[in-house]
Amino acid sequence: MIKLDNVTKTYNKGDAAALRGANVDIAKGEFVFLVGPSGSGKSTFLRLVNREESPEEGSIFVAGKDILELNSWKVPYLRRNIGSVFQDFKLLSNKTVYENVAFALEVIGRPKHVIKSQVPAILELVGLSKKLGSFPHELSGGEQQRVSVARAFVNRPLILLADEPTGNLDPATSVGIMRLLDRINRTGTTVVMCTHDRSIVDTMRRRVIELDRGAIVRDQHRGVYE
Amino acid sequence: MALKLDYMVRETGTNLVRNFSLTFASILTVAVSLSLVGAALLVRGAVDNATARWEGGIEFIVFLQPEASDDQTDAVERALGDSPQVEGFSYVDQEETFQEFQDLFADSPQIVDTVSPDILPPSFRVVPTSKEADVISGLRTQFETQPGVREVVAATDTIRTIQNLSSLFQRIAFGVAAALVVAASLLVLNSIRMAMFARRREIEVMKLVGASNWFIRVPFMLEGVVQGLLGSVVALGTAFGVRAGLSQIATDRRFTLFAGFTVDAGQFRLTGVLILVTGILIGALGSAFAVSRFLDV
Repeated sequence: MIKLDNVTKTYNKGDAAALRGANVDIAKGEFVFLVGPSGSGKSTFLRLVNREESPEEGSIFVAGKDILELNSWKVPYLRRNIGSVFQDFKLLSNKTVYENVAFALEVIGRPKHVIKSQVPAILELVGLSKKLGSFPHELSGGEQQRVSVARAFVNRPLILLADEPTGNLDPATSVGIMRLLDRINRTGTTVVMCTHDRSIVDTMRRRVIELDRGAIVRDQHRGVYE
Repeated sequence: MALKLDYMVRETGTNLVRNFSLTFASILTVAVSLSLVGAALLVRGAVDNATARWEGGIEFIVFLQPEASDDQTDAVERALGDSPQVEGFSYVDQEETFQEFQDLFADSPQIVDTVSPDILPPSFRVVPTSKEADVISGLRTQFETQPGVREVVAATDTIRTIQNLSSLFQRIAFGVAAALVVAASLLVLNSIRMAMFARRREIEVMKLVGASNWFIRVPFMLEGVVQGLLGSVVALGTAFGVRAGLSQIATDRRFTLFAGFTVDAGQFRLTGVLILVTGILIGALGSAFAVSRFLDV
């Protein structure tokens, strides 16, 4: 589903290597943790996959297609197959829970009747069917992250990228979010998640890819944090 | 591509209202610059019309002394017939001149009463072969010294004055308008940039979920076009005013010089279309630049 072939990405004109000769192959339906210290290249990995960045060297394949060959006008169609979740949620504060999720469908031109049926269903899935009319600031951190997951998943993407989704949440709330991501993974969606959360990684026992200064230093099935 | 109309209209409207002061500045600048362009074009049209009226008819009039003898009149007529610079001419006698005089001062009968045909000068209305200034002044010197001639009037003097004044006005107006058009484009650009900044989080989310590039761009481009359009509509109003003002002057009997100083419907339509198109173009270019430069999609 995701394949990085000898990918090198540098910032500041080659001074800082974010990723050095990375080779990764992630199969459909896998759940992968990216671990490593800050600045080791985890976020760059995710940004390369949805083509927010382009590498200096190497090729990146998503669903069998070389995404570096895509015309820029086709990139949005790539991103419709990739949901993204962030540490800071990136919700729109002037829109309600319902509107935040509906927005994601509206701006890719989905018809109204689809929006009307999909949005309540996905909010039911993440357990927020009673908060459709709330604004983000009226919700707890965990609830806000659920909205963000709902928005990322409402279009049923093939891949879900999560950049430290539990970074702002307390341990109990984090467990709830992980259950949700696990559930989404079980529908066949490939999940790639960056994290610093040792207990989550150790509890879930999924594939772990460890990065250090842009290099992949460990790739372990049913792995642990260290 | 499914660009939803209601979404686009709503977004454009919100953007315009959200950033009212800057939007207003853009619209006003577009309006002022295009008003100047429109006024200059209309005045030029009016001057062309006035000139055409003169040039189509008499360019040159030789007034004779009312008491000029028939011999003197014949001599002038012969000289006109012999002159290679004269294309044609006609003689207007005292009776006809009196008729013209009556027409001209129809609303002032007390003036007409003081005049009788025998004190009015008969004249030759002359069409020269060329309208060049030196040809005209050559003819003028030739006939001014002819016995029995009272005065030679060349229409070009007054027309030239009008043309000079008008071309000066046009040059200033177009210069100022050009500067203002640039300012207007920059203001549109800036207001679009502000709108994009205000919506940066929405734009970020739209990119993330895969909204197509045009879906993100179109509301901003539309916003620029609407600003240009509103500005040009105001300028169109000014153009109406200028046209009305010109026809006011043209029909005012105190300014007989400006008779024919009007803009016909065709010229006015053309000017109107030009104002609208330029306004839309200013808006489209300003916002297109803002979108391509600052909207990294």
